[in-house]
Amino acid sequence: MHRQVFQYHPTIGYHFIPGLRARIEAEDGGYLVRVNETGFRCEHEFVRQKSPGKFRALLFGDSMTAGEMVSNKDRYSDQLERLLPSLEVYNFGLPGTGTDQQYLIYRDIGAQFEHDLLLIGVFVENIRRVVARYRPAADRDGREWIQPKPYFTLRSDGELELHQVPVPKDPIAPDQLAEAEQEHVDTYGKFPRVRRAIHALGMRELAQRLTKYQPLPNYESASDPSWILLKAILTQWIQTAKVPVVVCPIPMDQYIEQTSSPEGYQARFRELEPLPRTIVHDPLPDFWKFPVEERRRFRFKHDRHLTPGGHRVLAESLSKVIAPLMHQAERIS
Amino acid sequence: MAATVLGISALYHDAAAALVTDGEIVAAAQEERFTRKKHDPRLPRNAIRYCLEQAFIEPSDLAAVVFYDNPLLTLDRALKSLLSVAPRGEEQWSEAAWSTLGVKLFVANEIRNILKADVPLIFSRHHLSHAASAFYPSPFERAAILTMDGVGEWSTTSIGQGEGTEIKLHKEINYPHSLGLLYSAFTYFCGFKVNSGEYKLMGLAPYGTPKYADLIREKLIHFKPDGSYRLDTSYLGYLDGNVMTNNRFHDLFGGSPRKLESRITRREMDLAASIQKVTEEGVLGLARHTRQLTGMRDLVLAGGVALNCVANGLLLREKIFDRIWIQPAAGDAGGALGAALLVSHRRFGAKRKISANGRDGQKASYLGPSYSSAEVRAFLDRRGYPYEVVSDRQERAQRIAASLAKGRIVGYFSGRMEFGPRALGARSILGDPRNPETQATMNLKIKYRESFRPFAPSVLAERASDYFELRQESPYMLLVAPVRKERQLPFNLAEHLDFGDDDMLSVVRQPRSDVPAITHVDYSARIQTVHPDDAPQYHGVLEAFEKLTGCGVIVNTSFNVRGEPIVCSPEDAYRCFMRTEMDLLVLEDCILLKANQPPMKDDTDWRSEHALD
Repeated sequence: MHRQVFQYHPTIGYHFIPGLRARIEAEDGGYLVRVNETGFRCEHEFVRQKSPGKFRALLFGDSMTAGEMVSNKDRYSDQLERLLPSLEVYNFGLPGTGTDQQYLIYRDIGAQFEHDLLLIGVFVENIRRVVARYRPAADRDGREWIQPKPYFTLRSDGELELHQVPVPKDPIAPDQLAEAEQEHVDTYGKFPRVRRAIHALGMRELAQRLTKYQPLPNYESASDPSWILLKAILTQWIQTAKVPVVVCPIPMDQYIEQTSSPEGYQARFRELEPLPRTIVHDPLPDFWKFPVEERRRFRFKHDRHLTPGGHRVLAESLSKVIAPLMHQAERIS
Repeated sequence: MAATVLGISALYHDAAAALVTDGEIVAAAQEERFTRKKHDPRLPRNAIRYCLEQAFIEPSDLAAVVFYDNPLLTLDRALKSLLSVAPRGEEQWSEAAWSTLGVKLFVANEIRNILKADVPLIFSRHHLSHAASAFYPSPFERAAILTMDGVGEWSTTSIGQGEGTEIKLHKEINYPHSLGLLYSAFTYFCGFKVNSGEYKLMGLAPYGTPKYADLIREKLIHFKPDGSYRLDTSYLGYLDGNVMTNNRFHDLFGGSPRKLESRITRREMDLAASIQKVTEEGVLGLARHTRQLTGMRDLVLAGGVALNCVANGLLLREKIFDRIWIQPAAGDAGGALGAALLVSHRRFGAKRKISANGRDGQKASYLGPSYSSAEVRAFLDRRGYPYEVVSDRQERAQRIAASLAKGRIVGYFSGRMEFGPRALGARSILGDPRNPETQATMNLKIKYRESFRPFAPSVLAERASDYFELRQESPYMLLVAPVRKERQLPFNLAEHLDFGDDDMLSVVRQPRSDVPAITHVDYSARIQTVHPDDAPQYHGVLEAFEKLTGCGVIVNTSFNVRGEPIVCSPEDAYRCFMRTEMDLLVLEDCILLKANQPPMKDDTDWRSEHALD
């Protein structure tokens, strides 16, 4: 890749370089990335005032929402706009971020833009990222680094406290990170070496089936500290918003392909339903309508991000919950 | 709907990709710029990605993909040539079998693997691609076409003509008779690398006298009255061996080939002068016949031999044609562009648009990637490199001009990267041409290359005739012309050639004109005329320099060190800046001073990264 894609941001850590146009090589050839002048991968330039006759949704999420591995037009945000022509989606998705950083994007950048709907696409794996203070990264030459990120902790009074802001600019060499901080690096789950070996052998699915692998055990208990933190971030975010909020837990491939049980995360996200103006929309049943072999095609062969087909299912699923909100807004206006 | 065609050249040397939409060139780049491997011949995966990025399209949006030559014809030539010398040629066979059978025949699958899309794939013809690259972007409605290179499929030279969107090739000269391969044989014999050292040989030629020209004409090449020629291949090694020359050749020219990097002697200088003279005669002969055959008043040129800008300059001065236009990516890289243009015009019916103001369709050859100011700043911020933003274009030009006038060397990175081997002010290193030390400094401390090699001037197009005896624009640095008489200083080359000196430095340091750094020992210069429509920013730098110093010329050399491809990205540029003794780096609107930069860490053995060319 001859281009750098991200630039430093003191609160979020980074965002896309404004105005960037790039084609990024990927296993199915490559994909086109267009970034607007605000620094987000969105076909729209962000303007404060809503366009007349448009229902504007602000969308937040990680790489699943930003559309890693697919061109802008193939993402669920852009497919949603085609399904619902009067919908305008401002996509603030940012790869590699946790829900904490996505909330900061909303707070510091997104909230200033008029909107009718707040749409939070929580890739369920984000539960690990919100408790992490560092994430692994690799540079152009393949060298591994540790990238600091902003993070929240919960004070004893239940308030969120933001740390590591401004985010340190420089990545840290893995052997330079203080020992006490090592446990705060997101290693994508337990047993990273074993996992890497299994992946290298191409035995991921078999191993997961045999071991009844549960990738995100933190969702199993309502009192798990990771869930408590994620829930607190989402709750504060929802309470800040003055518009309807759709929280959409985006499932990992293990849940889509039913090699792991989704019951834990589904139960946890249902805990958000009592919050005012909040709809928790679970798209998993819509993925399950397809035969297992077809569901396998909703992710790439060597990468777990959604394919254009996977994005389509997600868009169609979300359209069912967004369309009524649009009609409702239309009736009121 | 617009038909977009992707052209690809690869698997010999200088792989490239080019993208053309309805006859208009959208993008073109050589693979080496991305992989940082000089003359990278591999299928241009990165250049293809860049072309799609520039057009912002998916592979499925392509109307066709065209490969610049026909691997089956190349195989045919390889097999028949080897049979003609059998049982000799075993070494040649093993190499050809690998490069032709091993990869080229599977090129279709390889390209589909890269694109992951089912797009119609067309194979062009090597010299037709060259011809198309020369004719379609030229500013001429109709023109004679002359292509000359080492070899492509069977052909080494072709003569034809173009009119509107039609191209016809009338005549070809076939392998093994090749003006390009003969020049390469001398390149090899004089101790330079084939396919990259030809340029050095041309630069060395003015140091010598053409004392071997008669011998070359007598033994190696026989010119016919119609401009065609035949080689006596019994002196040449490429037909039945893996090197360009054989013992008969060595006996003819007094011994073994010069070893790479060893001292250059009078023999190499005289050989360079001799083969240059013979090549010029060959080019002029072919051009005269082309004029006679086609009756056209204008000529377009492509193929590796068309990079011989000394011969091109002579051709212009001989007035065989009224005007000439040379494809700036005249080598195989340009084949990708020609093939794409050919298919766009001939298969998809794109009309040619000839500009009324006489400008060509090559877009000044600024066809590669650009990097926005935001991208540059993101890179510098991420690395913590100190810089100053000078957003005002005029102020920036003045700052650069002032630095140059103080004798500083400036790395200049601005806009879209050039397509073709020459840096034209987008990825250039700039210097003050008035300073007699500039040539030696730039060769030895910046480029780390042989001190005899001349530097080229960029000159304000409107002031070119004040400095050079040149009767047409030369936007691509492909024409050599004399520095005007009144600017020349008395200089006797023979007096100054001192073979006890290290690498001819004493000669180089002798002023030969009032712009010594760009005046070669024969008072010639390889000129780039800079027009404000083509390169407004670069033109602004020249204007600022002229305003400050009264001199409308600056030294322009490619932004790289010896053996390294020209820089592509801001990161490449910064790395090259730090590894050399450049004083100032301009990355779009950011100015970096060497004195302010932190030392590069872990970069002590960088010279081993690039094999010497």
